[in-house]
Amino acid sequence: MTSHPFVAMNNIKKSFNGVPVLKNVTLEVEQGEIHALLGENGAGKSTLMNILGGVHQPDSGQIFINGEEVIVANPHFSQAHGISFIHQELNMVGDLRVYENMFLGSEIRNTIGFLNVEEMCRQTQEILAELGVSINPKEYVRNLATSYKQLIEISKALLHKSRLIIMDEPTTSLAEHEVNRLFVLMKNLKKSGVSIIYISHKLKEIQEVCDRYTVLRDGQLVKTDTMQNENLEVITKLMVGKAISQERFVHDHVYGDMALEVEGLTSAGLFKDIDFTVRRGQIVGFTGLAGDGRTELFESLFGYRKKYAGIVKVKGKTVKINHPRKALQAGLGYVPKDRKENAIIKDLSVIHNMSLSSMGNFERMGFIQDKKEQQQFHTYKEALNIKVHNPRITIDKLSGGNQQKVIIAKWLEAETDILIFDNPTQGIDVGAKQEIYQQILTLAKLGKAIIILSSEAPEVMRICHTIHVMYHGEITASFTGEEANEEEIMHYATGAKREGEKIG
Amino acid sequence: MANIDTKQYSPESPSMKSRMSWLWSEYSVIIAFVIIYIGASAMNPRFLDMNNQLNILMQVSIIGIIALGMTVVMLSGGIDLSVGSVLALAGVISVLALNASGSILIGIFTALLVGSFAGFLNGLMVAKGRIASFIATLGMMAAARSIALYIAEGGSVSGEVSGFTAIANSDFWIFDFPVLIFFVMAVLIYILMHKTRFGRYVYALGSNEKAAMLSAIRVDRIKIGVYTLIGTLVGVAAVIETSRLNSISSSSSGAQYELDAIAAVIIGGTRMTGGRGKIIGTIFGILILGILNNMMNLMNVSPHLQGFVKGLIIIIAVVFQKRE
Repeated sequence: MTSHPFVAMNNIKKSFNGVPVLKNVTLEVEQGEIHALLGENGAGKSTLMNILGGVHQPDSGQIFINGEEVIVANPHFSQAHGISFIHQELNMVGDLRVYENMFLGSEIRNTIGFLNVEEMCRQTQEILAELGVSINPKEYVRNLATSYKQLIEISKALLHKSRLIIMDEPTTSLAEHEVNRLFVLMKNLKKSGVSIIYISHKLKEIQEVCDRYTVLRDGQLVKTDTMQNENLEVITKLMVGKAISQERFVHDHVYGDMALEVEGLTSAGLFKDIDFTVRRGQIVGFTGLAGDGRTELFESLFGYRKKYAGIVKVKGKTVKINHPRKALQAGLGYVPKDRKENAIIKDLSVIHNMSLSSMGNFERMGFIQDKKEQQQFHTYKEALNIKVHNPRITIDKLSGGNQQKVIIAKWLEAETDILIFDNPTQGIDVGAKQEIYQQILTLAKLGKAIIILSSEAPEVMRICHTIHVMYHGEITASFTGEEANEEEIMHYATGAKREGEKIG
Repeated sequence: MANIDTKQYSPESPSMKSRMSWLWSEYSVIIAFVIIYIGASAMNPRFLDMNNQLNILMQVSIIGIIALGMTVVMLSGGIDLSVGSVLALAGVISVLALNASGSILIGIFTALLVGSFAGFLNGLMVAKGRIASFIATLGMMAAARSIALYIAEGGSVSGEVSGFTAIANSDFWIFDFPVLIFFVMAVLIYILMHKTRFGRYVYALGSNEKAAMLSAIRVDRIKIGVYTLIGTLVGVAAVIETSRLNSISSSSSGAQYELDAIAAVIIGGTRMTGGRGKIIGTIFGILILGILNNMMNLMNVSPHLQGFVKGLIIIIAVVFQKRE
């Protein structure tokens, strides 16, 4: 073997806060190949790419570029070695023009040091033309549609004469014809010797453009092979894995009274005509792709967003919820997604996070009773199996799963009957995931009405009695948990199919 | 975060090291206070004189009361630049009310009312108007000073009711009244911040406003409460300021008080972005400022240079806090 791959990452290990995220992962990308990096959310794909991009440092393992061992100390280093990273979230400066974004950090200057605007505009236009789009290089980026921003990101990578481009779900915001154009471009790049690491959940796309694939699961390398030999089902199985039981948790039981009825809920530009009901003891799931409006829907229902119309009935009574406080009074609890930004108060202790929404329970004559808080926390610690040695430490020291349990305890303490979970297992490792599912099921058995929002169809399929699929702010299909299958859900979630009649 | 991680993995005497760093991060301001106190005693024997010590307390009491409120505002993630101007305005109006009514109580009540109303307006602008606190209170700073100048025609107003000066110029045991008022206020604010839900909500709001709101906290009301509280404390400070000399100047009273109050809060270890900090830190912060001023007076440092030293201390305090 004299020829070596363009990039090789050998036996990479990485853990965050003691939780291993990558366990001995090896990845090789040949020159001029399109390599698919596959795995479920949380499998470690992004971490691996961030290590290659110099954002994180591996705990152990080696990285070779062009056969030479390197230490990718920072993003600059990887850029200098021809590696470009196109992130899922776009890194564009909205208040700058297109060409300014393209040349940010590598501006072309003329002999006396002033910016050479004309040259930059010309090159910008050239590359955009290659992609088959016509955008005025002097347009402000904030005025462009998301798909154009995505294309500008890609053009930027091309501009820097990258030899390896990492694309993290580049097609989520692109329309079909734009996707096709991107694929043509990718194939052209391949011919000119550029390698591409392509991260996507859309297996069909992957089969169309990729040469080889690598599957990660729970931080471990599952398989690397050429694309031709495989059919999609096999790959799906590899991604999901059989180690963790994918069996449905839910066994039918009788629902209680009607807990929540929603009729014709509409908010301009976010969601429209949403109807659904939840009974006590029932677990209802909402799934869809990014931008389907489900988070906005439930933020509105919880009173965080105020501009919406429609009828909301809690336990048969019509309520007007325009602030989370009102939602709490009506008996709604909300475990939001992006725990760090939306749920935990990182400067408050574990106990104080637990009691935050129900301070009244711990007061006597207006003063907080520390002892009562502690005792109550202890109850939840036992009941929910919260692993914390000293509950007075700030909550950010806990692992994701334990943080989530504290947030659940918060809403239980507030005596809410309807619990909304948005992406409840986001950033939680596999073992703790099972536990969170178990807790949710126990809550349902206790007669709570549960709503689960998740972008992962398998998650809602596993634990929900009823599943609603959303697309562009509308419920496009509804299934019972037994009859749902992932493929059907994807059809409706991508807008390929829609259904008139509703169940539930 | 990263700092903590490396500390956990470092093999050499982790317990001792982490204990030291914990001690430092929790009590750095107290340690700094002790060092400065010892240094001051060594440099000038007159510093330890009982009268001098009490004098320092007297001198910091007005700013101290304002700094207590500033701590609450900054814990909530905001800032209040209007305190000095509002103090002048509350002082001027309260003297007019005092002279017109002849009642000391009405005078005090007016100062508190004007202070809290200005604070309430700040709160409305920040919470409901969604104006950055820096901008909203900057506006209030200019407006309140202007109204004070207009009412007093640019000059000073003096009290004409006998007994009003007793508020700031009496003492109980060895303490002057203003010092006692400062102590009482400090205890009250401490209890408010650590024993009531209002305090808990302020910390939550300053740490993560969205999460606080999604925890069903009425964030807007807490914000309005925070600014009204500091306004009321400014009213208290205005009464003392006015009573001390039986007059208040519409042009110079309260000038730069906001800077001293903010300095005390920052030296006391409260994070600029909110969510983290302690009342006790602010008390030591104000004492450090008081001692430094006192030392410079005792050592005949030009008053023009005192601002330089103060500025240096603030910057050093922030640099040290960044490190932990």
